[in-house]
Amino acid sequence: MTAVFTIAWRDIRATFASPKGCAIFFFFLGFMGVFFYSFLHTFVDITQRAPMYGGEAPTLEQLLRALFYNLHFILVLVIPAVTMSSFSEERRNQTIRLLQTSPVTATQIVLGKFIATAAILALVLACSSVYPLYIKAFGNPDGSLILTSYLGIFLLMCAQLAFGLWVSSMTTNQFMAFLFTMFGLFLLLILNWLAPSFNSGSLFEGVLKYIASTDHLDMFFKGMLTVNDTAYFVCFAALFLFFTNVVLDSQRWR
Amino acid sequence: MIEVNGLTKRFGSIQALRDVSFKVEPGQIVGFLGANGAGKTTTMDIMCGCIGADSGSAKIAGFDIMDQPLEAKRRLGYLPDVAPLHLEMRVADYVTFAARLHKVPAVQLRKQVDDALDRLSLGDVRHRLVGNLSKGYRQRVALAQAIVHNPEVLILDEPTEGLDPNQILHIRELIKSLAGQHTIILSSHILSEVQNTCDRIVIIHNGVVVQQGSVEELARQAEAGRIYRMRVANNVDQLARDLGAINQLSGVRLTDPKNGELEFGLAKAADEQVITEVSKVVVNGSYGLRELTLKTHSLEDVFFQLTH
Repeated sequence: MTAVFTIAWRDIRATFASPKGCAIFFFFLGFMGVFFYSFLHTFVDITQRAPMYGGEAPTLEQLLRALFYNLHFILVLVIPAVTMSSFSEERRNQTIRLLQTSPVTATQIVLGKFIATAAILALVLACSSVYPLYIKAFGNPDGSLILTSYLGIFLLMCAQLAFGLWVSSMTTNQFMAFLFTMFGLFLLLILNWLAPSFNSGSLFEGVLKYIASTDHLDMFFKGMLTVNDTAYFVCFAALFLFFTNVVLDSQRWR
Repeated sequence: MIEVNGLTKRFGSIQALRDVSFKVEPGQIVGFLGANGAGKTTTMDIMCGCIGADSGSAKIAGFDIMDQPLEAKRRLGYLPDVAPLHLEMRVADYVTFAARLHKVPAVQLRKQVDDALDRLSLGDVRHRLVGNLSKGYRQRVALAQAIVHNPEVLILDEPTEGLDPNQILHIRELIKSLAGQHTIILSSHILSEVQNTCDRIVIIHNGVVVQQGSVEELARQAEAGRIYRMRVANNVDQLARDLGAINQLSGVRLTDPKNGELEFGLAKAADEQVITEVSKVVVNGSYGLRELTLKTHSLEDVFFQLTH
């Protein structure tokens, strides 16, 4: 386990030794700030006009949900930037040799890289909580909903990171890693919109819908923890970490 | 200490290694010599467990690199041909990272890192970024990474590549000072370097080990294969016939009859005594000796003969 943390700690420090670390924080929090401002504005607007049309005013929970769904979009853009260099950069400048010739297993290397990226993004997520906390400070939304939503986002993020690491382990080109990760994650995001265009009601549609990452967040955003959705994200992450492990091991045989 | 047995490796249509075998005794320095693309780096990569061999095995300190990789790698220090440097790290941090990866106990960590930095005289730059160092310094940092955990076996792939003459001397001294407590394999395509530092030499060509032995053995072999060049003033054809009659000489041939030049080599069993006889023939026949030189000398030629 020490080896895992040695590898992870080095990666975390390397990220913050370069402008990359700052850029990730800047874009993530910046984007989220823009969305937050826009949603809050709309929320206030609708709340003020609702009585005039005789409708019900939107709830703070709805505002939060909109904010969290948008985090999914932001992650699709940010995750590839975080994972793209994990393996491909090390392979390109041959620093991977240091890991390959050290007494550590491929699994330890993969876990080290995974923990490093997860820790960086967990830090970003922690910083992003100023927006929901702002709402909490000036309104009275369901507090546990914020917590479960963050748990959902964190699990989603881990699954996406595992996918990104897998892509990164297969190429020496960072740009390719970025591109393939982003399109893969984007496909996962829109899969449940695409699903109905195939034979509706068929098994295939059901499978596609299950694979899509979007629907699995619904329950978390409603403040509920379900085994089904948690299992989906954990299995997704474990599967792709396993794939990464296989890729890394197989490189010795080429 | 190191045992390599029948390594074979194929990259697509290219046969990189064919049945490479050799052994290194504890405390020895072995030079791994070959032209560019001869298979040195591939062999070293296999020995370190970076890539797998198609067949054959490599054992480091009694542990098979494929079957017990962790045990073998723990006893191994490797300097690859491209130094595996993290340019954004500070020198001391980088060496500490390498030491941690190699499971140096926390209590000894500081001491061993300081030790490695001292040995490579990197003390002055320990707080500088690796990326800001010159090539020579970077190579030394990479070497520090390889020796920081006091490995039993050191594998160095062209350790003096790209260094200035002073630094080459320094690294050579360092490698010699490491002998005894460490078993070292170093590769090079420069013969003089290997000749100066190594006890044994393994010559590899086109993926095949063509020769191995101690430096003396190979030098003796070079002696047997010596070729002399002679230039005389007149009647070189007659001289060639006369020399041909001496059966301790071999391969007497005219190289440039117009200028009176010929070449001859010593037969297998012959020693330098035969040169006395040659000079007698030349003087008695009044050929007018102008020049007698040893065309070949030292290991350079064994290497040349084997790889051409």
